[in-house]
Parts: sequence; C-alpha cells; structure tokens
Amino acid sequence: MRHLDDEALHALARREPDAVKYFREHLATACEACESFLATHSGPDVLDGQVDAVLLALAPPRSDAPLDEVGFARVRRRLRAPRLDTRKWGLIAGAVAAGLLAVVVVPRLRQGGTGVEVGTASQEPGVKGQVGRIALELAVVVRGADGSLRRLDPDTQVDSRDVLLLRYHATEAGTALLFQQRAGEEPQLLGPFALEAGTHDLQDPQGLSGVSLEGESGPLTLWLAASPTGLQPSVDEVKRVLVGEGERWEQGMLAVTRFDVRVRSSQNPR
Amino acid sequence: MGSTEGLAEWVRRAASGETSAFSELYRRTRPLVARLMAGFAPLDPDEVEDVIQETFVRAFRALPRLKEAGAFEAWLLSIARNRARTRLERKASVRRLEDDIADPEPETVPALPEALQLERDIEVVRQLISELPEGEEKRTVQLFYIEGELSAREIAEQLGVGKSAVTMRLERFRGRIKRELLRRVLAGRWE
Repeated sequence: MRHLDDEALHALARREPDAVKYFREHLATACEACESFLATHSGPDVLDGQVDAVLLALAPPRSDAPLDEVGFARVRRRLRAPRLDTRKWGLIAGAVAAGLLAVVVVPRLRQGGTGVEVGTASQEPGVKGQVGRIALELAVVVRGADGSLRRLDPDTQVDSRDVLLLRYHATEAGTALLFQQRAGEEPQLLGPFALEAGTHDLQDPQGLSGVSLEGESGPLTLWLAASPTGLQPSVDEVKRVLVGEGERWEQGMLAVTRFDVRVRSSQNPR
Repeated sequence: MGSTEGLAEWVRRAASGETSAFSELYRRTRPLVARLMAGFAPLDPDEVEDVIQETFVRAFRALPRLKEAGAFEAWLLSIARNRARTRLERKASVRRLEDDIADPEPETVPALPEALQLERDIEVVRQLISELPEGEEKRTVQLFYIEGELSAREIAEQLGVGKSAVTMRLERFRGRIKRELLRRVLAGRWE
C-alpha cells in the first residue's frame, strides 16, 4: 500500500490523474501514516492555509480589532529597510561615536529642555518617586546608493536612494519610538527600540538600523522619543507630545530629539 | 472568515500599490495569524511576534505576484505555518539555519472554493470533532478551536500537561482534518 510522501504530494500538486485517483480512494478512510505525513509537511498548494482557515473559523467571531500600530510599524520598517552591510557600518560607527559628543549633531530638543534633566518626580499614575529622565543624542550617517557612507548634519539635502543610519547616546537604558514626519503630515511610527546606556547603533532585534528614503521627497523629520525603562507611553501619547499637545507627565518623562533632512527625489538630477 | 470579497478587494488595492491597503490587510488578518501562532506552544511570545512579522513581510513583498486575490487568507496562513514550523525546527536543531520551508509560490496559488463550500467544510469539521472519543485530545481541540480563547500554553497549564503535548494533540487532530479536506479536494474540486 502506498502512502503520502514528498513525491506523491508533488504528483498531487501537478494534478497527475493516477495520483489523484489513487489517493482519492486511499484517503477516504483514516490512515495514520498519511495523516502524520500531512501534519508535518506543507502542501499541496495552500491546503495548509485552507485547513487552518476552516479550523480557526470554528470559534465565535471576534469583534473588529484596531490596527496594532507598533506591529505594523515593525513590518513596514522591515519592508523598507534594506539589510545593512554590517562590516562597512562597523567601520564608520567608531568614527561617528568618537565625534558624537564633540560635534554639534545633537538635534533640537522640544519643550525647552525636555530630555536633559535627570531625576524628576513622576506625574504618571501608578509610578511613584523619582524617575530618571534620559538625556538623548542622535547622530545620523547616510549610506548612498553606491554604498558610500558619510556623516550627516541636520537640514542637509539627501537623495531618495539614500539610507539613513542612526546612532544614539543615552544616559540610561529605556525604550524609544522612532517616527518620521513629512511636511504637513502627522508623525508616522517607524518602530520601537530598546535603548542601552551609552553610545549604540539604533537597531531592533532583527538588527535593522536603516531608514530607507525610497519614495520620499521634500522635508522629512526623524523623531526619536525615549522614556526610562518602566515608563512606556503609548504611540498616541508620544505623537501628542511631538505635535505639542502632550500631557505634562508625558512631556516631562520623554526625551525627544529630531533630525531634519530634505529629500531630493532620485528621479530628479542631482 | 476573512476570505471575503472585501478582503480580496483590499488585496487588489495593495497589489496595485495603494499604501493604506497594506495597513488594512494587516489590521484584518493579524488576529487570525496571531491565533494560529497561539497553537505553537513551544514558541515564546518574542518568537511568536517575530514569526508574525516575518509572515507579513514575506506576504507583502510577494503580494503583487499573488495570482488569486481571493486566496490571500489561505496563502498568508500557509506562510505563517511554514514560518512557525521553520522556527520550531531550528529551535530543536533539526533544521539548518540556511534551510527554510518553502512557501507556496504566489503565481501558482489556485482559486479557492466559494464561501458556501467553506461553510460546508466547517460543518464537516464540527461533525468530526463531535465524533472524537471523549478524552484529552477532544478537550484540547474544543478549548483551542471551538472556544477559541486560550493559547496552547494556557491550555497546557489548565490541563496540567506539557506545552509540547498540547501542540502535538492539535497537530495530530489537524492532520486528520487535512486528510479529510484533501480527500474532498481530490474528489471534486480538481476535476
């Protein structure tokens, strides 16, 4: 007796008449060998997805979920950010780190000094006592389409084929949200990041640290908003701070830096 | 289910480059993918989140090549299952890092049966569950698929068994359902 195996599955995927006829009859009764094979092998076609769709439809329908903004931002970021040449990035990173504190790459801070004081009383409900506030600095290196790397000053013109590589200095560990904002639009979340004290590349667990400018044109602002470990304001709360509408505790706990660039579409001549 | 004409329309809009359509597809289908992942008890929450992300990145990258917009949900779930299995097998060191379970090629995904057929399939599966002998497997299947609230990890805790045992029960049951649906496909839908 013949049971399902890789060869049979391929034959069924190709709709070979003999295979279809044989397994149509064979699978009419329970077969432990075939069921075990099917449980651990994909296909044919999208049968696995069909099976899961049917099984997941057995439960009562759930109410419409709102968009998981953080999750979608991570997906969008992974779709847009090409994997970096870590060897080249490593070479430039040391130079950037050395110059980070000495050179004026610290972007403008919002709300008159937000992010430069340490040890303020928490205003957030449920958080008691003194909470350290992160001081945050950001340096940006641009990687060109030809692979070249150069440090970027704020308000510099960049090409839409460029990728921005970010490096931060934080006085303590925390979490940060990275946003981009086009002229006249709301800040758009690019992703959440864990910050470590010291100077580090900004990267998520997948190791991605580039912001692709593909499709961008005109003024673009990158916002990095950090809060100490244990305080994690929501995306909307941070957005409110970025547009100047945040509550007092949100403004007080967030360290916010921005970096402005002007993106020139690569379709136009340099 | 999400495989409605409404979802297919969002798939077409995303495939034509409409950016907002991707967020709508993500909003509509992420809960389904997350629920599928909840059956893989050995994966920890960080691994689950990573698999979900990888699933959508792969699907969105290949979306413009998807031949049948109506097959998006089944195709997406197939990718999600493959990603989870790859992750599990790597975790158990039975799959090398450079190897990957191949996802269904978007160009060759066939048209899928109408909603009415899917409703019939659901009824068949309900019947098969009711016919299961009373015992741990039936209880596990009911908790995960019929009640649809608890994850495999939570079920393991509730039943006082290991995480892998729950996932194995679900997989064994799913193998049975897959055989039944494959038989039905072979019996009519490909002729």
